[in-house]
Amino acid sequence: MSKEIVIEPATRLEGHAKITIKLGKDNKVEDAHFSVTLTRFFEKFLEGRLMERVVRITPRICGICPEAHHLASISAVEDAWGITPPKPALKLRDLLAQAKQIASHALHFYALAAPDFLVGPLAEPQYRNVVTVIKELPDAGKKALELMRVGQDLCFLIGGKAVHPVTCVPGGQSRPLTEEERDEQLKRIERGLELTNFTVDLAKKVVNDYMDVITKLGVFESYYIGLANEGVHTIYGDATVRIQSPDGKIVEDFPKRDYLNYIAEHVAPHSYATHIFYKKVGYPDGIWRAGPLGRINVVDKMETPLAQEALKEFRDALGRPCHATLAYNWARIIELVQAMEKAKMLLEDPDIVSTDIKLADVEPREGEGIGIVEAPRGLLIHHYWSDEKGICRKANLIVATNHNIATVEKSFLVTAKQIFEEKIHEKLKLPEPMIKT
Amino acid sequence: MPVKIALAQLGSCWGCYQSFMDNYEGLLDILPELEIVFWHTVTDFKYKDLESYEDGSIDIGTIEGVCRTEEDLHILKLMRKKCKVLISLGSCSTYGGIYGLLNLYTMDEALKRKFIEAESVAEPAIPDEDVPKMLDFIVPNRKIVEFDAFLPGCPPTKEDIANALVGLLKGELPPPPKRTLCDECPREKSEVITIRQLKRDYEGIPDPDKCLLEQGYICMGPATREGCGALCTSAGVPCRGCYGPGPNVIDQGAKMISALGSIVDYEVISPEELVEKVGDAAGTFYNFFLPSGIISKTVRKAK
Repeated sequence: MSKEIVIEPATRLEGHAKITIKLGKDNKVEDAHFSVTLTRFFEKFLEGRLMERVVRITPRICGICPEAHHLASISAVEDAWGITPPKPALKLRDLLAQAKQIASHALHFYALAAPDFLVGPLAEPQYRNVVTVIKELPDAGKKALELMRVGQDLCFLIGGKAVHPVTCVPGGQSRPLTEEERDEQLKRIERGLELTNFTVDLAKKVVNDYMDVITKLGVFESYYIGLANEGVHTIYGDATVRIQSPDGKIVEDFPKRDYLNYIAEHVAPHSYATHIFYKKVGYPDGIWRAGPLGRINVVDKMETPLAQEALKEFRDALGRPCHATLAYNWARIIELVQAMEKAKMLLEDPDIVSTDIKLADVEPREGEGIGIVEAPRGLLIHHYWSDEKGICRKANLIVATNHNIATVEKSFLVTAKQIFEEKIHEKLKLPEPMIKT
Repeated sequence: MPVKIALAQLGSCWGCYQSFMDNYEGLLDILPELEIVFWHTVTDFKYKDLESYEDGSIDIGTIEGVCRTEEDLHILKLMRKKCKVLISLGSCSTYGGIYGLLNLYTMDEALKRKFIEAESVAEPAIPDEDVPKMLDFIVPNRKIVEFDAFLPGCPPTKEDIANALVGLLKGELPPPPKRTLCDECPREKSEVITIRQLKRDYEGIPDPDKCLLEQGYICMGPATREGCGALCTSAGVPCRGCYGPGPNVIDQGAKMISALGSIVDYEVISPEELVEKVGDAAGTFYNFFLPSGIISKTVRKAK
């Protein structure tokens, strides 16, 4: 007797997916499928568009991280046309990347992940969500909303719109930051640092309470991928792409423009999102995890002091590389700390209010351009071919989530085996939820 | 009694719901009034829960996104059946949106580019197990089911969404637009606009206070409805028309072509130069509107 457990749709994630677990005799787990049930074919309809408009179209790939797409897109266009914008423009873009990291990580932690820990993994679905957190833990709920807002308001200011930013133009930025705006944002960041400390404390409590679950459930070895600048954690700007093997060695550290030599896509018949893997090792052995855990594993250190302390604490507890899927949430908090510190550094830089942010003479030319940044959920690659009139003739995109599809699927398989075959959920130490329903 | 609400996501990016979330502290006033019975990114209700509710038992439903797959189509029809009031949220749902640009190509061409020809694809194949079938073309959702109100924008501003929800809780539908984007744009414009030079968005450094169209940048303001507060033009870049057509305009692209045609000085710019400079007519004039435009049907017939 075999049966299928279908979870449709997969919830508390952005996007469209379903999970199918195939059970055989005696609840033996035969397979687990993670089917992404939607794709929108940006790769095709970018063809024929003006390159400067491509930059304004691609944010619509993701409403949570449109800034990352806007930034990868403009880098690819400027690379194709051989343009280097003024330094202050690049600093504004870096600030935009940090602002999004703050907003997205806060949203991900409080709205997508934390309900499992705060309301408890066994709570009924009508309660296991951020609305319950807001209603039942009003103090934490308010702070969560305030923290998301610190990041998102800064996205709005630098990007012109928080959802689907518009200010990156080939050659620079369309709008400078005024001194008054900068001063106001510096105050907001101070408050943001307080809110981050609160979040770190909450996350530490959750991590300690659930340590048994984190270190036992869904743990498996994989490769890891992420950007680093001379080994230092970086989400935007000068960096190389690092690949780490399951035993912790940095096996590649290559320039962005060489990505096609190392990174490839496998088309799974059951998913519209492709599975990304390490070309030299092949599929499926070369699958990896990207995003917070991938980045935290591949880097030697963080760029900012408080984040570096947090990384040390993480590594003391879980080692390097850390293969625990649920440690993503802890890694995310370390990155939140860095983004907040980095945003402060950038706002304190006098260049950030410079008006020298756009080249006046920009000419399109025929060429290929590659833009790679770290989106909150992982490495993001935009690759375009421009003709001499500045029209996009071809586009290749590898988006953040795709790096993780194969490993997410594997984590379902590993976890399903633990639950259906070993009944691990009856043995794990689960704390009393902070919110009782 | 809290009002029951279902927030559905079809083929989309979550940007409209992100915009709703961006109300932050404002959510504290709205959320207690609502009982969320479906919202897959935020809550754990499944399709079978939505299917199990009685027809017409949900007070308010919102639809974000287009019907890209058969699954989207099923959810759209299901939502119409289950919800008393159905709101179209954003320009994808309202006009067909940016993903509607794929209507310029066939589905076969799209599948081939993404899964067979893409430079990074190692083992080409087209997914066909356990995935919903792709629909050939995007059509605006209102051609499939009836809506009670439309809140366009890519995304609609957080204020638009909050105001609409507060209104709906009192039984009021959002008001229709009265003006164009130009009417709410803070940039200075002349009585009569004449364009003697056309510029691409990256050319030069635009004057921060003057009308962008007057400076030669193609700005969709004249063909676009008010509502966003002129966010893009305030940030130094031309409007791309994401809120859709202005009052009494049927085809946003045709309106913009006609507006542009009437303000260009043809003694300086020939019609051929104009076409050459525009470079991409479909993307320029129909970025968010192609499936609702007359042109889309022509393209489809030609294929």
